[in-house]
Amino acid sequence: MSDNTLVNPNLEFIDEMVGLGADSLKKCFQCATCSVACPIAPENSPFPRKEMIAASWGLKDRLVSSADIWLCHECGDCSTLCPRGAQPGDVLSAIRSYAITEYAQPKKLAKMVTDKSKLPLLTIVPAVWFALMAIITMQFGGTMEKIFGAVGVHWVHHSDAAIAHARFISTWLVDFTFVPLATAAVVVFFLSLKRMVGDMHENAVAEGKTDKQDLDIKEFLKTIPGVLPKILKHKQFNECGENKARGTAHMMVLYGFVGCFIATAIAGSLLYIGGSAGPYSQINPLKWFGNLGGILIVLGAALMIKDRLSKDKSSAYKDWYLLSLVIGLGATGLLTEMARLAGSTFGTYLIYYIHLIMVFHLIAYLPFSKMAHFVYRIVGMTYAEYANRK
Amino acid sequence: MTIDKAAPASASILVVGGGISGLTTTLEAAETGHEVILVEKNAYLGGRVLQLNQYFPKLCPPTCGLEINFRRIKDNPAIHVQTMTEVVKVEGTPGNYEVTLKTRPRFVNGNCTGCGACNEVCEGEIENELNFGMDRTKAAYLPHPMAFPAQYVISEYISEDDKKKCADACKYDAIDFSMTETTTTVKVASVVWATGWKPYDATRIDNLGFGRHQNIITNMMLERMASSTGPTSGKILRPSDNAAPKSVVFVQCAGSRDENHLPYCSYICCMASLKHATYLRTQYPDCEITIYYIDLRAPGQRYEKFYEQLKKDEKVFFVKGKVAEVSEAQNGGITVVAENALTGEKLRQTADLVVLATGMEPSLASGKPQADLTFNGNGFIVNDFEKGGMFGCGCANKPADVVSSNQNATGMALKAIQTVVGR
Repeated sequence: MSDNTLVNPNLEFIDEMVGLGADSLKKCFQCATCSVACPIAPENSPFPRKEMIAASWGLKDRLVSSADIWLCHECGDCSTLCPRGAQPGDVLSAIRSYAITEYAQPKKLAKMVTDKSKLPLLTIVPAVWFALMAIITMQFGGTMEKIFGAVGVHWVHHSDAAIAHARFISTWLVDFTFVPLATAAVVVFFLSLKRMVGDMHENAVAEGKTDKQDLDIKEFLKTIPGVLPKILKHKQFNECGENKARGTAHMMVLYGFVGCFIATAIAGSLLYIGGSAGPYSQINPLKWFGNLGGILIVLGAALMIKDRLSKDKSSAYKDWYLLSLVIGLGATGLLTEMARLAGSTFGTYLIYYIHLIMVFHLIAYLPFSKMAHFVYRIVGMTYAEYANRK
Repeated sequence: MTIDKAAPASASILVVGGGISGLTTTLEAAETGHEVILVEKNAYLGGRVLQLNQYFPKLCPPTCGLEINFRRIKDNPAIHVQTMTEVVKVEGTPGNYEVTLKTRPRFVNGNCTGCGACNEVCEGEIENELNFGMDRTKAAYLPHPMAFPAQYVISEYISEDDKKKCADACKYDAIDFSMTETTTTVKVASVVWATGWKPYDATRIDNLGFGRHQNIITNMMLERMASSTGPTSGKILRPSDNAAPKSVVFVQCAGSRDENHLPYCSYICCMASLKHATYLRTQYPDCEITIYYIDLRAPGQRYEKFYEQLKKDEKVFFVKGKVAEVSEAQNGGITVVAENALTGEKLRQTADLVVLATGMEPSLASGKPQADLTFNGNGFIVNDFEKGGMFGCGCANKPADVVSSNQNATGMALKAIQTVVGR
């Protein structure tokens, strides 16, 4: 008990946390109300009281490697009961955001994604890139036809419809952009998670949060299928008292994305394997599926934005960046389709151009933005399950 | 002293509130030769101190302190006491105030000898405010065995039938139902506000279950139970079955140091709970006591010593961690949930009785008088010594124990005197 502990506060870390929306963290006086208020905190070393003191002491390593931060769903029950307005919910959200930046490589890019002033630069890159792709598609169709013909594939990827996305930017070029980017994102995630899971285990052993001694990756992976249904059902969200409605909104966005992802994957296979090019008829079930996904995304994101605007909780750039991206993705996706149906060539292509820039943001910056939470959360929750966190 | 008859049309100093602070200011000013009017909202003097069983840290009954003060008041012709009276408004400037007072009818005049004949014949009962509604009292009653002035009071809710019975029973012609609420004005040079505090309304602390579970009580309720003049004649019993508690949990900072309730430290609750632990240990040698706290505050050497003494007690346990959830267990027990911040364990403890250490809210927080006073955001009076003339003391000024209230009240007596003599 009386061992001398030298605390080396990482002041930079504290400052960065404040920038990420944890400006209230120093108000905490460790009453531990939050740990009791939290409906999902484990019985043994519950959160977020210990995270609050570690944050105000600048103990970065203890925080970013804790699986507990990924168990928190920021329902806000702790912040409501907090007698000091220290907003533990916001602090944990900031820690998660910091952890994403900490584990993602290259770190430089990660820092840029959470920096408001870098947004124009991050946007200009895809804007210029897709402008170039549009010029290639519209001006050099003949040349491309020859090049593609030489390897025996068709350059043209659209039906006879007058307005088709592929007439503006070839599907080939879109996929040549996104498939490598998505692959890179997966690689980045893999490298981050490799480090993170190791750290999580070390942290859990040091803090007595697990009964496992050595980390068994096989066992860990086997735990994932058991955790997924919990996530899909939003089980944790539904235990929230204060902010139950957010669970529904989040579920809408999640299912919206899953729907759009499936629709895209099917459309991709139809195109490359079946040779059937878009735009599809409006009565095509796949179309319905994608549209429903888009609507869910827009509605869910709108609900979440409304929730953030009406609450006195702090919302940082990271929150608005993600929410704007999500609602923007859904909205531009649906609007592109509407403009096409309305017969506006310029409108369709302009909105589609914006949509592509946003998709670029989503995929290229995925491992660095708050969006990465979906991967980290699955891993954090899986680790807790694996480690018998109770 | 004069009681309840019309106060003199003018005096040097008006003291508002007859609790320990107001008594002190009154006496200190009057004993230096100044004319003082003391008005008190209740029918008796003594305020919150009169409700206590023992003072900390010496554990002597408050009656000894009060008795001496009452004696001094009685003997001093410069003091004019008006009970059941409140200040409606204060107009004017330092040295020259006109104060409007409102006096509720007592229905008992100065002839009352305190014989109690009215009480004997009266049948109707009212809630006993002194005991926080834990028992009832007759509608014709003496508020406290050592009430001062030692005169009965008749509730405005008395039935017509009881009215007749009481009037008939009184041999001294002391009962007068023709009394009505009166408004009077007095001229004074200075006003000292010693309006004190009230326990924070525990029903507002939703997660601590007061009002939902019978066996969750407040510290002031426990104080009344421990007092021989209280509802249980001094026995601390749990309300649901009047059983002697075998385990008691104290929840510190119940509403205090909480932005959702009282954002400040109420100063006395830690010492009060420590004192309550001594009551329980004396009454029930086997009773186990657990005190859940954020920080235990025992300021000053004497309080610190008191705390050290209790820490040595093997039946008294301290847990650093605030209780944030309660629920009812079997047989009327109450389960409290807290995180022990020293070990990081979430604790669930079931006790026979849970005591919320509620804090103090200034009485003026709700219902401020029309007077040129400055209040802070929590309803405490901020003294403006530049302006002078009116001063807040005791718990009207800040949360305080009896000792510091008295020191502060003495200081404000001097400030009032300075206004009177024009310095």
